Amino acid sequence: MSGSMTPALALSLRRYGFGLAILVVLLIANVVMNPARFHPAAWGTLLGMAAPLIGAALASAPVIMAGRGGIDISVGPAMGLVNAVVILLFVHGGIASPWLLWPVALLLGAGIGAINGFLATVVRIQPIVATLGTYLILTGLTLTILPAPLGPAPGWLRSLSGVWSFAPLGVIALCWWGLSRTPFLGQLMAVGSDDRAAYTAGVNVTGVRFLAYVIGGLLVGAAAMMLTALIGSADPKVGTNYTMIAIAAVALGGVSLAGGRGGLIGAAIGAIDIFLLQSLLTAFNVSTYVLQVAYGAVLVLAVVLMALQDRPTKRSHA
Amino acid sequence: MAEALTFNAADLVLREGAAPFRQVFTPGEIVGLAGLDGHGQDRFLRVMAGLDQAPGRVSLEMSGKSHPIAGFRDAERQRIVYVPRDRRSTGIFPDLSILDNFAIATPEADRRFGLISRKARLARYMHWKERLKIVAPSPDAPITALSGGNQQKVLLARALARNPRVLLLNDPTRGVDVATRHVLYDLFRELAAEGMALVILSSEIEEVLLLCNRLIVFRDHQVSAELSGEAMQSEAVIAAMFGRAA
Amino acid sequence: MTARPASLRPAFLKPGFDQTRMRVIGAFAVALALHGLGTLLIPGYSAPFAIRAMLVLAALLAVASIGQTLVVILGGIDLSIPFIIGFANVVAAQLYGQGWNFALVCLLVAVMAIAIGMVNGALSRGLNIHPLIVTLGIGMIVQGLVLIWTRGFPTGSAPKAVSQFVSIGGTFGPLPVAGVIPALLVLTVLIVLVLERTPFGRRLYALGSNPGAAPYALIRPLWVWMVIFGASSFFAAVTGVLLLGFTGSAYGDVGQPYLFQTIAAVVVGGAALVGGRGSYVGTLAGALVLTEINTLLIGLGYQPATVQAAFGLVILLLVSLYGRERHFSTLV
Repeated sequence: MSGSMTPALALSLRRYGFGLAILVVLLIANVVMNPARFHPAAWGTLLGMAAPLIGAALASAPVIMAGRGGIDISVGPAMGLVNAVVILLFVHGGIASPWLLWPVALLLGAGIGAINGFLATVVRIQPIVATLGTYLILTGLTLTILPAPLGPAPGWLRSLSGVWSFAPLGVIALCWWGLSRTPFLGQLMAVGSDDRAAYTAGVNVTGVRFLAYVIGGLLVGAAAMMLTALIGSADPKVGTNYTMIAIAAVALGGVSLAGGRGGLIGAAIGAIDIFLLQSLLTAFNVSTYVLQVAYGAVLVLAVVLMALQDRPTKRSHA
Repeated sequence: MAEALTFNAADLVLREGAAPFRQVFTPGEIVGLAGLDGHGQDRFLRVMAGLDQAPGRVSLEMSGKSHPIAGFRDAERQRIVYVPRDRRSTGIFPDLSILDNFAIATPEADRRFGLISRKARLARYMHWKERLKIVAPSPDAPITALSGGNQQKVLLARALARNPRVLLLNDPTRGVDVATRHVLYDLFRELAAEGMALVILSSEIEEVLLLCNRLIVFRDHQVSAELSGEAMQSEAVIAAMFGRAA
Repeated sequence: MTARPASLRPAFLKPGFDQTRMRVIGAFAVALALHGLGTLLIPGYSAPFAIRAMLVLAALLAVASIGQTLVVILGGIDLSIPFIIGFANVVAAQLYGQGWNFALVCLLVAVMAIAIGMVNGALSRGLNIHPLIVTLGIGMIVQGLVLIWTRGFPTGSAPKAVSQFVSIGGTFGPLPVAGVIPALLVLTVLIVLVLERTPFGRRLYALGSNPGAAPYALIRPLWVWMVIFGASSFFAAVTGVLLLGFTGSAYGDVGQPYLFQTIAAVVVGGAALVGGRGSYVGTLAGALVLTEINTLLIGLGYQPATVQAAFGLVILLLVSLYGRERHFSTLV
């Protein structure tokens, strides 16, 4: 790293380095292999296609950053439920206004997040078990209220899929930037890296963790809207796929699963990585099987490289 | 009776630029390590235990043969036993019983026909319980039910069960009550008399003055003074710690 | 603390571990209560055939959960179990279908599974990467490779003996249950002996309880992680082969339900995901509870979607009753 670089920039480069490097390589590969699809004029459409995955990765990140085994595996099914409810409200309830559907989506997401947060921080069930419970409940609930795919989505929502998907992503970025101006983000990182120290320093650890779940839930709501915009309908089975791939994206983006390290930028980079990998392999016209091997390999390789990079700082004698 | 052995450090450099030094520890002696926090005494003890690496040679000389201690495995094989400082994070296993916590480093000793015999384990534990005057409700109680001093005694029993030739203790009386301290002092003297070499790092000067035959004071990762006999006075120790002539 | 010496208290009131024991007893009690409820509500719920079916289903889940139990005691988690189940299921069927000797097939599958598991353990511990990510990534690779190999259409089947071994109507000597039931009981005794009465078992609990203290107590963390994850994959592979006998044909996704069910069984059985606590007997109870819930709800005529939701609700309810964590400020 050059000496003139600010420490913060150097630090984030170190943190996001692998995710960014993979991103650049994959982007170039995509542009070369598939110039038509990756023509600059088409980047809007591409962004729209990547938006739900980016949203899911963002939604997974705050809880993981909060540490002590924090993880939300219900992100995918929660997106599925919001997707189903929004379309049901439109098709059967005749509610088309974005001024109603957006709040419904965000509040539903935040509500699910609050339930997860309550279970994990107040009832003190291990997060993976608590969100496994809500995972199963949400999956079952979605299939019960929406046994089969249903459409369409309101026109304004469908038009949000292309270039315009930068709008919700931009709003998220803006809100997160605003949040980083408050003490909350610092407290979240402190709780994530050492909750006992944070507790001793007077941080309301339970409150901060609970809020992380609620924020994750809000992001789930937004991600579900982007998903609905993309597919233009409701599909009870589409959501569940997102959980694992979102967690993979988060890890790829340098967010430590032990908590306290990484941020939403990293999560977004990781999600874009996975999207680009997907596009590249589709361009090669390979089967979904090869795609799966590639996902796994990139994920393992990235975390191994990241760990090797962190290694010299801490040597174990074991 | 004690084996004819010496535990040596030769040309040891604890940090780049620090002066190399040598030390010899022999059975029957209790050597204290002192110094301000972070001045190399902790690192020295870890290097001697094979836990950290530093330029120089650490070896156990025994009946004419030299056994180099290059890593923790070598130390383990030569029965050089290290007792870490932080009881909570590197000592106890909080979910396990007192008995398990005692036997965990030497479980093979209790094996009868491949399985751990509860009777054998209990007998071994009772021996040390008596010798260390461990005050514990029942061997099956969790280790966290014990007071800090008694937890420390269990950890010492765990180390002593390995039948050490050299015992390296990192601040063994930290957070231990006065009565227990004196039990431990008596024990250390007995162990030395039986032919064990003891190296004790302590953050309390009075303690090393009371307990040790010889004292090594560290400053800036090198030996600042070596005191024994009449020279072991707290003024001299403090002066050496702060790098002043006494 | 009360003044009464601990040794005078009844065994189940002793502090600490006995909390784990209480959880295990609690899980068995819940399974019994659920069975009682089912017998009251649904005619034929306790008919011999129904009980035999439930036992076989619970046994398959219990075998799949052996690895998860061990890994959880270690303080890890293994998401590769469903993928390894699918891998073993498909590879065994395919090779046996190509005319290989079945014993040889089993040996090969077992060796490969153990190798995969050891890679999981080595990467997680050796590089200090969260096992969740490692096992997920490795699992995806394994499943993808199997799919490529079979082009997504696996063929083949299991020998009659394996099907007999897990058949609901099967018998074992004079016993009116499939061979897998007594085999599981024997296996349980062996697992409990290894965990409770061998140096390796004690070291496993110690390592899970406080990884920072383990090396000083002469425990080799990397080795233990490799052995335990290897064992986890081995038992997942066994489950895959048993499922091949149970369903009769190969199916790459046959293991998928077991991803969350193994975790749920372990947790309902009283283990803590932070490591150091848990027992295989508890997992057996957990597997029984989950099987009872499933059978009960399907028997009451609920849709699979509703059953799944109820499943989630019951897990949350049980775990909030007796699976709560200590407040973080009281943890090491």
